[in-house]
Amino acid sequence: MSRSSFTALFTTADKLLFLVSLSLIVFSYVYFWQTSPASYAIVKSGQQDSRLINLNESKIHQVEGRLGISKLEVKDGQIRFISSACKNKICIQSGWHQHGGAVTACLPNRVSVQLGRQTSQTDYDAIIF
Amino acid sequence: MGHNDKLIAGFAALAITIHLLESALPSPVPGIKPGLANLVTLYVLIRHGWSLAANVTLIRVIAASLLLGSFLSPTFAMSLAGAIASLTILGVAWHFPGKPFGPVGLSILAAMAHISAQVVTAYLLFIPHDSLFTLLPILLTAALISGTLGGILVSKILERVDSITNT
Repeated sequence: MSRSSFTALFTTADKLLFLVSLSLIVFSYVYFWQTSPASYAIVKSGQQDSRLINLNESKIHQVEGRLGISKLEVKDGQIRFISSACKNKICIQSGWHQHGGAVTACLPNRVSVQLGRQTSQTDYDAIIF
Repeated sequence: MGHNDKLIAGFAALAITIHLLESALPSPVPGIKPGLANLVTLYVLIRHGWSLAANVTLIRVIAASLLLGSFLSPTFAMSLAGAIASLTILGVAWHFPGKPFGPVGLSILAAMAHISAQVVTAYLLFIPHDSLFTLLPILLTAALISGTLGGILVSKILERVDSITNT
């Protein structure tokens, strides 16, 4: 295909539209992929009501889970598991979390931690067939 | 059976076949596929107008979902939302004063509208979690690429059909 016949496939409006779409896409990467530090975390457990933890207040929180107590350390806007009544300690090894949208959990103890903005309250997580 | 009914039936059959073949292709990321069935929509739009294109597309979405067993499932809702969104934007762009858009422009508009509507539908109905939008940039990139390539293909198909019918 020669170069002239290739460019002939695009009208002026097509070229403009392509550039507008391209800039929209670049903007969407910047907008949707930014990681901003979270200011609070939502901690959920099967044993007690979910609670909101302020990440700017350094403190050690105790959460009661299915197997026992999980301890969460909050320091400098970050949060991590420091102890948990589980066997493999994967939650502890996952380390510090600070970005909005990040999720960590101790599955055996049924304790989950979600950072950042509170997502809209809905009755379900997802529907799949 | 009028002339238009025959055209709709023929193009719908072609679109359904392509839709079924395409559903068998594996996809690297959920939601990304080449959208080959939409090339039929685009061709019919350019050659026979918007109302025929809308007929062909809606018949394709419903019939293909019946054949795939996904009728009224989330997959079907997503497919229908994408089809309605792309038909709407094609209707606007096609009747735009001066008809500035060629096949490539129309195809890009349809692809971008299609995937945006699908993400919004998925968010509103099935996965109400903000993290879903993390996928949007990748899906839009794929839509721009497949839309551009699809539009080029339709241009070539139009040229070929013209050269055959003119001889």
